[in-house]
Amino acid sequence: MASRIPLVGLIAAAFALATVAWGSEEPVPPLPTPETPEHVTGEQPYPFDSADPRDEEEDKPPIELPESVAEKLSLLSPEEVEFLKSKDARPFTGSEEDTVEALEERTPEEVKAWVNAMQLVVEHNPYKEGRDSPNIPLNMASPEFNAWRLQRPRSMDPKREPGPVSLGRYDGYGGPPTFGGLPMALSREDLIAGEVDVAILGAPLNMGSGWRDSGERATVDLRLLGRPIGNRDQYVQVDAGEVLTIVDYGDVAVDNNSTERSMKHVREIVREIASTGAVPMIVGGDHSLEYPNVAGLADVYGKEKLSVIHFDSHYDAWWGGTHLIDHGYPVYRLINEGHVRAADYIQVGLRSGGPDKTGFNWMREQGMRYHNMAEVEQRGWDAVLDRVVAEASEEGRKLHISFDIDVLDPAFTVATGTPVPGGMTMREAITIVRRLCAESNVVGFDLVELHSALDPTYKTTLNSAHIIKACLTGLAMNREGLTAEHYLSPLSSEHAIDDYYGDQQQFLDATKAEEEAEDESAD
Amino acid sequence: MRSHNLMRCALAVLLWASLGSPFEKAHAEWTVPDELLEQVSALSDEQADFITSGAALKFMPEQQLEHELATRDAQSLQALVNDLISLSAEMAYDPERDMGAAPLNLASRRFNRGTLPTPAPLRELEREPGPFSVHRYLYPRSGIPTFAGAKVAIWPEDLVAGNVDVAIIGVPSNAGSGRRDAGNGPNAMRATNTIATPDLQSLVEPLEVLSVVDYGNFSVNWLSTELAIGHVADMVAETAGTGAIPMLVGGDTSMLYPGVKGVARAHGEGSFGLLHLNAHPDAEQHGDHTVSDRQSLFLLLEEGIVDGSDTVQVGLRGPEVSVESLQWLRGKKVRYHTMAEIEQRGFDKVLKRVLREVDKGPDAFFVSIDVSVIRPTEMIAAGRVAPSGLHIDEVTRVIRHVCAAKDIVGFEITDLAPMLDLSRLSVLNANAVLNACLAGIAVRKSGLDPDYIHPLVRDHGQ
Repeated sequence: MASRIPLVGLIAAAFALATVAWGSEEPVPPLPTPETPEHVTGEQPYPFDSADPRDEEEDKPPIELPESVAEKLSLLSPEEVEFLKSKDARPFTGSEEDTVEALEERTPEEVKAWVNAMQLVVEHNPYKEGRDSPNIPLNMASPEFNAWRLQRPRSMDPKREPGPVSLGRYDGYGGPPTFGGLPMALSREDLIAGEVDVAILGAPLNMGSGWRDSGERATVDLRLLGRPIGNRDQYVQVDAGEVLTIVDYGDVAVDNNSTERSMKHVREIVREIASTGAVPMIVGGDHSLEYPNVAGLADVYGKEKLSVIHFDSHYDAWWGGTHLIDHGYPVYRLINEGHVRAADYIQVGLRSGGPDKTGFNWMREQGMRYHNMAEVEQRGWDAVLDRVVAEASEEGRKLHISFDIDVLDPAFTVATGTPVPGGMTMREAITIVRRLCAESNVVGFDLVELHSALDPTYKTTLNSAHIIKACLTGLAMNREGLTAEHYLSPLSSEHAIDDYYGDQQQFLDATKAEEEAEDESAD
Repeated sequence: MRSHNLMRCALAVLLWASLGSPFEKAHAEWTVPDELLEQVSALSDEQADFITSGAALKFMPEQQLEHELATRDAQSLQALVNDLISLSAEMAYDPERDMGAAPLNLASRRFNRGTLPTPAPLRELEREPGPFSVHRYLYPRSGIPTFAGAKVAIWPEDLVAGNVDVAIIGVPSNAGSGRRDAGNGPNAMRATNTIATPDLQSLVEPLEVLSVVDYGNFSVNWLSTELAIGHVADMVAETAGTGAIPMLVGGDTSMLYPGVKGVARAHGEGSFGLLHLNAHPDAEQHGDHTVSDRQSLFLLLEEGIVDGSDTVQVGLRGPEVSVESLQWLRGKKVRYHTMAEIEQRGFDKVLKRVLREVDKGPDAFFVSIDVSVIRPTEMIAAGRVAPSGLHIDEVTRVIRHVCAAKDIVGFEITDLAPMLDLSRLSVLNANAVLNACLAGIAVRKSGLDPDYIHPLVRDHGQ
C-alpha cells in the first residue's frame, strides 16, 4: 500500500523515476499468444470434443419380450418394437419385467401411443441439425458490437507516467474506494513500470449463479468494505502492503447476457497481468470465471504446467448440458481443453448433493485429488490441512487457487449463490489460504460467488476481504522467505515469558541474548 | 475542403434519417469551429476527416473534443486521433476477430431438455382433465402457495375442461440488463398471497366471477434469453389458444417479447393494442444481442407484432430515455407519456389522455408493466430501479380501468427481483398490480361499467 511505504522510499522512487525520460517509454513486450484456440470466431462451432465421457452408457443389449405380450405389440411397426426393446426405452419402461407389466396394463392402442411418446422425447432431447440452432447468434449487424469491451486509450486523458496511481489526496488516503485503498493501475505499462507483484481485478460476471446479483455489486462492495486487503497480519507479523506492490486493476468488462462471450476478454486481461510476472487476483463474479482465469495463466506459463486448487462445496466439473460454460462447468472445460491435467487438480471442501458415484469414479480415474468435508469429518481438519498443503506444494509446481466462498459455512458467507451448510470456518480458511500462498508457488488466485445483494450485514463481504488478505499475507511471507511449514510469528503466537509449552527455549535464549546485547550497548 | 464537408454533413443527415443513430445525428449537427480549423489542418487527411466528419464524437462530447483541439500540441492531438481511429475500426463486428455466435454443446444428450411438456402417455398418474385444488381444507390459502390461492392446471386440456378465464403463469427468466433475481419473482408473488381480493370499487369478487388457475411456470433457459423465447412464445400461444387469458409473471422484461408474440400468434398480429407501463423505453435498436429487455418493445414494433399507433407507453424516465429513443417511438407513432409530462400536467390529466388513447385503440388490449414504473419507495425490488416514478395507486388505477374497459388478451408483469427487498413490500405491490387487472377483468365479465362504483362503498348514506 503506497500510503504505508515509508516516505523516504517514495522520494527515492520518485528520483529514480525522474531520471527516466518518460517521453521515450520502453516498448512493452508483446503479449504471448495462447497455444490453444481462445474462443471461436465468427459462427464457428466449439473446436473441442464436447461429449461427456460420463454420459457414455455401457452398450446394454436389447431386452426380450415374451410371446404372451405379442398381441399388445400388434399395432407397432417393426421399428417401434425394436425401439421398445432397445436401451433408449429403458429410462421410460425400466427392466424387462417392468416393461412386460406395463404392456399388460395397456391396450394395443395405448401401447402404440406410449411408445410414440417415448420416441418423441428421445428425438426431442439431443441437438438436431436443421431443427435446432447450433449456437446463440449475436446481432452481428450492430454498429456498436464491441462497445462493451473497448478500452479507453491512454491518449484520451492527460499524459502521466506509467505506474500505479494513488487516488487519494492525503498520502494515498481520501480518494474513491479501491481494493484495500491501494493505488490503481489500468494497463500492462502501469504494471511493468510499477514492478507490480499483485494486481487485483474485479470481474462482475452475473450469469451462472444460483441466486444472481453476484456481479456489479460484488466488486464494488469489496472496494467499499475491503479495508483489510493488504493489511498487517498479526499471526505472522507481515504487512503485505509493505512487502509487495499491490494494485487495484479495475474491473474487466463482461457481457452479462452471455458468459461465453465474456470468456475471451477476461482471459486476455488475466494474461495481460500474468505476462508481467504479477499475480492476478480476480474477484467476482460467478465461478465460470475459473475457466478464463486459469486459461489466461496457462497462456503465459504453458499448458499443463499449472496445478489448481479448487475450494468449493461443489466440484464444478459438470458437463454435457446445452451450454459450454456456466458456474458448474469450469473445471471440466479447463481439463477438456488441455490447460490443466486432471491429475493436477486438487479439490477441497466438497459437500453438495452431487456428484454421484460416476462423478467420483471419474475423478479418481483421472487422478484428481479431492478432499471432501466427509474426509474432514472422518480425519479432522488438521490432518486434511497438512495433506492438502503437501499436495499443493509437490515439485514446486505453479499453483492457482480458485476460492468459491461457498466452501465456507453459510454462517460466515450466507451471501453466495449456492450456499451449502457444513462448511469450513473462517479460522480454518484463513489458515489454509495463508499457508498455501506462503508455502506453495502461487501464481494466480480468484475469489468468486460473492452476492452482495444477499448481504445486508456486510458479513460475507468482510469475510471475503479477509480471505483475499490471507493470500496476500501468504504471498508476502513467501517473498520474505517465511516458507517453513505453518510458520507463525514466535512473538505474536504466545507471550513466551516462560517456556510453558516446552518448545520455546530457543526463542527465549535468543531474545535474552538480544536484551543483554542491548543492555551492554546502553551501558 | 468546405464543400467536401458539406457533402459529408448531407450524407450524415441522410444516414441519420435512415438509421436514427445518435452518433450520426451528432455528425449532422457539429462542425469544427472556425478558430480550431488551423489545428485540424495540421492533421493528415485521414485524421482531419475523422474530426470534421464528427466520427470522433462517438467517443467524447463536442465540448470535450473542442477542448482537446484547442489545448493539445500537434503530436499529442495526432496520437489521440490515431487511437480513436483504431477504436472506430474495432467497434463493429469482425468475423475473423469476434465471436458472432456463442457455440453450444452439440454433443449434449439433453440439448433441448426442459422444453418438452411430458407427453400424455408418459404421465405417471391418470386423472380427469380440469383444474384441481392443492389445499386440504375447504377454504384454502394454506400449504402449497399458488397465485391467488387458485386451483392448479398443468395441461391445456385442464384449461379447456375447466373453461378457464385466466391462467396465471410464471416465466422465471433471470437475465437482462438490471440487477437480478427476477427469476424468483413468480414464487415470491405466490408465497405472499394477496392476489384476488375483492375489488373495493365494485365489490366484485374476482374468484367468484372468473375461473382462475395457477398454470405453473414456463421453462426458460437459464443462461440464454435467445434460447428461452421460442418455447415461451409457443406455450403462451397454446394457452391463449384455449381461450384463457394468459397473465404472465416474469422474469425480466426480455420476456415481454415472447409473451406478446405468443398472444399474437393466437389472436393475430396487429389485432390488439399494447398498454405498457415502464420506466424504460426498451427501444434499443442497435443492441449487440438479438433479444434482451432493452430490445423488447423495439422487437415487437419492428416485427409488426403490435402496431406502434396502438401502443401506449406510460411512466418513461431513467437512463435509457434519450432523444434517440423518443424520436424512434414517435416515428413508430407510439403514444408515450414520460414522467416529465406527468410532472407538468399532473397525473389526472395524463391519465385521462391515456384512457382516451386506449379507448380509441383496438377493442382488444395486452396490458404489461415493468415494475420499474413504480417509484422506488414503493417498489425497491425493481431490477432496473429508477428514481421518481408513479405511485402504486396511480398504476393500479390505470390498469384496473383498462382491464375493465377492454377485451384483455394478455397481461404481463416483469422484473420484480424480490431478493432486493427484505421488507417484502415490493411483492405486496406487485400483487396489487396483478390484482388490479384481475379485478378489472372480473368487473367487465360481470357486465358492469368500468367506472361503476358500488353505492355501499361510495358513501355510508346515513
